[in-house]
Amino acid sequence: MKRAYRQFTERFIEGLLALSGTVTSLTVLLIVVFLFNEGLSLFGTSPLENKTALVVNESNPVQKLSAVSIKDIFDQKITNWKEVGGKDEDILIITVNDIGNYYSEEQIGAEFEHLPDCFSRLVDSLPNALAVINESYRTSYFKGHTIDVNKNNLPDFLSGKEWFPTAEPAVQLGVLPLILGTLMVSLLAILLALPIGLATAIYMAEIADERIRKVLKPVIELLAGIPSVVYGFFGLITIVPFIHDVFDLPVGETALAGSLVLAIMALPTIITVSEDAIRNTPRSMREASLALGANKWQTIQKVVLPYSMSGISAAAILGIGRAIGETMAVLMVTGNAAVMPKSILQPVRTIPATIAAELGEAPNGGVHYKALFALGCILFIITLIINIWVERISAKRKFKK
Amino acid sequence: MRMIETKNVQLYYGDFHALKDISMQIESNTVTALIGPSGCGKSTYLRLFNRMNDLIDNVRIEGDVLVEGRDIYGKGLGMRIDELRKKVGMVFQKPNPFPKSIFENVAYGLRVNGIKNKDYIEERVETSLKQSALWNEVKDKLNKSAFELSGGQQQRLCIARALANEPSVLLMDEPASALDPISTAKIEELIYELKEKYTIIIVTHNMQQAGRVSDKTAFFYLGELIEYDTTPHIFTNPTDSRTQAYVTGRFG
Repeated sequence: MKRAYRQFTERFIEGLLALSGTVTSLTVLLIVVFLFNEGLSLFGTSPLENKTALVVNESNPVQKLSAVSIKDIFDQKITNWKEVGGKDEDILIITVNDIGNYYSEEQIGAEFEHLPDCFSRLVDSLPNALAVINESYRTSYFKGHTIDVNKNNLPDFLSGKEWFPTAEPAVQLGVLPLILGTLMVSLLAILLALPIGLATAIYMAEIADERIRKVLKPVIELLAGIPSVVYGFFGLITIVPFIHDVFDLPVGETALAGSLVLAIMALPTIITVSEDAIRNTPRSMREASLALGANKWQTIQKVVLPYSMSGISAAAILGIGRAIGETMAVLMVTGNAAVMPKSILQPVRTIPATIAAELGEAPNGGVHYKALFALGCILFIITLIINIWVERISAKRKFKK
Repeated sequence: MRMIETKNVQLYYGDFHALKDISMQIESNTVTALIGPSGCGKSTYLRLFNRMNDLIDNVRIEGDVLVEGRDIYGKGLGMRIDELRKKVGMVFQKPNPFPKSIFENVAYGLRVNGIKNKDYIEERVETSLKQSALWNEVKDKLNKSAFELSGGQQQRLCIARALANEPSVLLMDEPASALDPISTAKIEELIYELKEKYTIIIVTHNMQQAGRVSDKTAFFYLGELIEYDTTPHIFTNPTDSRTQAYVTGRFG
């Protein structure tokens, strides 16, 4: 009886443990599926605003326009139909706001009931017109043809240099500046944090005596517990003005400021993980090195560091992971200009900061909303690639060296 | 020639008196076995000769330790620690190659001692690997990781690594205890050959091994040197009853 009970308890606990493992894996899977499901639904949708259509005169040979050229036309960077494959005529944009210039209020009607008709006649009479209308105006009476707009697609999304998801009438979804901004800020942060972190780890593991370590270790761990908003504040009131003054810039909110804040934030992870790796070097390795006449520094440099290289790589990955995913502090100090980053002394915008800043204003289920999820997918893939890459490097070192 | 001498050596780990008044002389080109039950101080004694005990906190050493007649712990005219460790090589209990190639493992001692001449390093690596009877097995894969070797080969690599520095003394701390019988036999054969050129001190738990390889044997018990004599004498006709009890396997 007692034995049966014990067996049952053992089975029960085993089952419970297996269940927690399964639930965790399923949760991860669920999040990834959800993210990609939302993100990928962006592709195939139209970059035009909801229920908007672009129409031109029947005689206009232009059938198709891309989101980028639409924006250029509305920004008046493209002013002639020739530039988009049409006749040599100036482009005349007509929106609802312009219709009053051509027709009187009586002609349009008190309830705007004749508006579609007015548009139809106007487009028919002006061969160079480009009218922005509501899709519902486009009935069988309408004279003129609709311009096809390229659907949102992956190559344009990745290579587009302009991120302007609220542009009218066509949104601009180019994530290249955001990807480059993210990579620039994160990599610079790691370049700053890794040498300092590694040096601290070596100091703590090899040089500092027990008393100093006992003070230093909790302080470093405390650094990991500070909320990122606080780092953001710190960056905003110390690092940003500092950069502003030192480099004599119009604004201090730059990629460099973000990198500095991120470097400080990544330090505790890098220090803790690499210190553990250094400490895990077997005592016999150090003894063998010292017994051959090596001094302490030679031993650290030639035996301890190569031996703990995979742990140090892990520390670097975790640091990069933290830097790439960090949102709040970066949002506060980088200036958030979604332009192609040219130098570290310019404002940049990272992917997480974009998502955090824009999700609130993106209508649920709209193009902008979906685009932010697609950004989330990109962030996920970047982190995944970095993980696999460094994992392979550290595995290689372990076996080959 | 007298290679190593200790005079009234006392060693304390904090309050623990680990070596009690040990005086002993070791002749060059001999193999000396240090035997005794666990915790008797034989490894601690071995580690006196290349100052490995310095790595442990709270160690206090009294008395004189002389290598080639020079005091290795004394200040002033004594021997510098890097010079000492070049002269006194050590092989550890478990094979502990570095995470480097076979070649770099053997070259390590030369490189850390500031030798840069490539031809000389190559020549030393080859000679050392030949001396440790490993050359034929590894000559085609010198750039492979040392971790790819078997346990016995790794231990012979560690011996080659120690020999590359051209030491006079080789300390061996239970060098075969982690190895299979065939690898053990190879190491023992090697010890016999190396005796020609080196003074060897070996700590072992294995009575047969001590009997096979050593010229002289020292029996330690509770931090004291109980008996030190020629190996046949220790094993067949010990003076002290505790030695007799230990070598015949009645305790330990």
